[in-house]
This record gives sequence, C-alpha cells and structure tokens, in this order.
Amino acid sequence: MQSVVRLARSSSRAPFRRCLATTAAPSADALSSSSASSVSSRSAAIPLSNVEAQWARLTSEEKVAVHEQLEVLQQKDWKELTIDEKKAAYYVAFGPHGPRTPTSQPGDSLKILLATGALLGAAGVLFYAARALGNPPPKTLTKEWQEATNERALEMKLNPITGISSEGYKGKGFVQST
Amino acid sequence: MRTQMLSTVLRAAAVRPTLAARAAPLLARPSSSHAQESFESFSERYIAFFQNAEDLFEVQRGLNNCFAHDLVPSTGVVEAAVRAARRVNDYATAVRVFEGIKEKVENKSQYQAYLDELKPLREELGLSLKEELYTS
Repeated sequence: MQSVVRLARSSSRAPFRRCLATTAAPSADALSSSSASSVSSRSAAIPLSNVEAQWARLTSEEKVAVHEQLEVLQQKDWKELTIDEKKAAYYVAFGPHGPRTPTSQPGDSLKILLATGALLGAAGVLFYAARALGNPPPKTLTKEWQEATNERALEMKLNPITGISSEGYKGKGFVQST
Repeated sequence: MRTQMLSTVLRAAAVRPTLAARAAPLLARPSSSHAQESFESFSERYIAFFQNAEDLFEVQRGLNNCFAHDLVPSTGVVEAAVRAARRVNDYATAVRVFEGIKEKVENKSQYQAYLDELKPLREELGLSLKEELYTS
C-alpha cells in the first residue's frame, strides 16, 4: 500500500519540484527549456574543482550552469563522486557566500584591537595635554581652604538641624579634596 | 443612571452562568496542559516525516524543525534524514546533517559516538564529513 503511494508520488515528482535557495538557484526553474540547451553547452566550461575560488566572480547564468551540473552529478552513486565534486556540491549549497557570508574577515579582530588601542591612546594624550596646558585648580579646592570653610560654617552655625552644625555630626563638612 | 447601571449588572449576573459554562474551557490556559512529547515519539515522528519527504524543500524544512529542539536527534532520525537526502539527490544536505549534529552535541566524544554509530550508513552511501572534505 505504502509503496503504491510512494510510486504515485515519485511519478508526480518530476514536473513539480520545490527547491530551497541552498541548492539550485531559484532562477534555474524559471529558465525555459529553450535556454537550457545553451546553458548545458556552457556548463562544461566551468571546472568544478575550482568552483570555490571562482564562485564570487561567476555570473548568475554560470552559477545556474554549475547548479545544474551538480544536480546531475548528485544523482549518481555518491561513492563515485570525486572529492572535488563533493566539495563543490557542499560549497555551492552551504558555502560562505550569499546569506552565509561571514560577518568578519580573518584579520578583523586584530584591526579592531589596534584601532581601539589607538583611540584610547589619543584620548589619553588629549587628556594629559589638556591637564598640562590648562590652568591649575582653583585655590578653593585645597584642603586648607575647605577646612577654613568648615570652621567658618561652625562659627556661623550653618545648617543646625541636619548639617555641619547639628549635634553628633560625623560628616566631612565642606572638605572634599584630599 | 444608577438604575441603568443596576440593570446592566443584573443582566450580566443573569447571563453569566451560561457564559461561564460555555467559556470555561476557553479560558483555561492552553499552556498549562501541554502534553510533553517524549523523545521516542519525537524520533518516530521525524523518522516518519523523513521517510515520506518528497523533495529537497521538505527535507530541509524537516531538518530545520528537527534540529530546532532542545535535544540531539537520535541516530534513527539522522539515518532517515540522510536517506531522505539521498532520495532527493542532495549530497550537501546529507553532509550538513552531520554538521548539525556536531553543532548540537555537548562534547566531542558524543559526536564521535554518533559518527561510530552511523559509520555503516556513511560507508554505504559514500558520504564524507565536512571535516574530511576540508582537511587542509
């Protein structure tokens, strides 16, 4: 019973065929049979052994030709495939091109590291240059001045409820420089 | 105004029993009563799926679904998937299945166990792994 169903399916398989973009270019099905002959005649021109190096430079027609070539190849017994054909089939379907292009190239992390270091260095140079060339900090930021401010504040009973003049006050008052 | 509100409330109260009786199963949270699919039934389901898959689209869709779960598909499922790839004549998908297993397993020894278990299948079909294809 099941084999009958399978038979019916396999007979109906030929005309209607869905493919993912991973295997055959979508345009491969759209190509009419008239252009297929010209494509198959051209397909011999592309050696499968080197398809990985060439893939980025192939035109879409040539890619379709490679797809068709591989499709025919993969119908054979897989033991008969050479390693180049296997690699080509894998590369065309799942290789790092199209949507699977890697987001970073091999030397990228070193470049990012160097650029980050250079930017940090530039920022440091800028910081110390500004410190060196700018005015010294104001005299009110010295510890002596701030302690004198504290004395004056206690003298004037400043903020007597929660602040510096309150009972049991333990804070540093106006002293903020060390 | 008040009488109108009262009548609305009363009407609602009068309507409620039948509504509740009808709506109770609807209001039960569906998520609370999900049946957990066992690993065995999962395997059976996907083996059946791959055995009936007709074309590459279906095989790859099944693989996507199968490998999306928080488990590593059993060897039976893998074998069915690889045979389905053979049936639709797509070598790359068969290689990709093993790549997917390598991605899903926790450590290398588990991957090696899968490879050992499926070695007869790979030899029967002449299937190389990605590591074997790209040795250099």
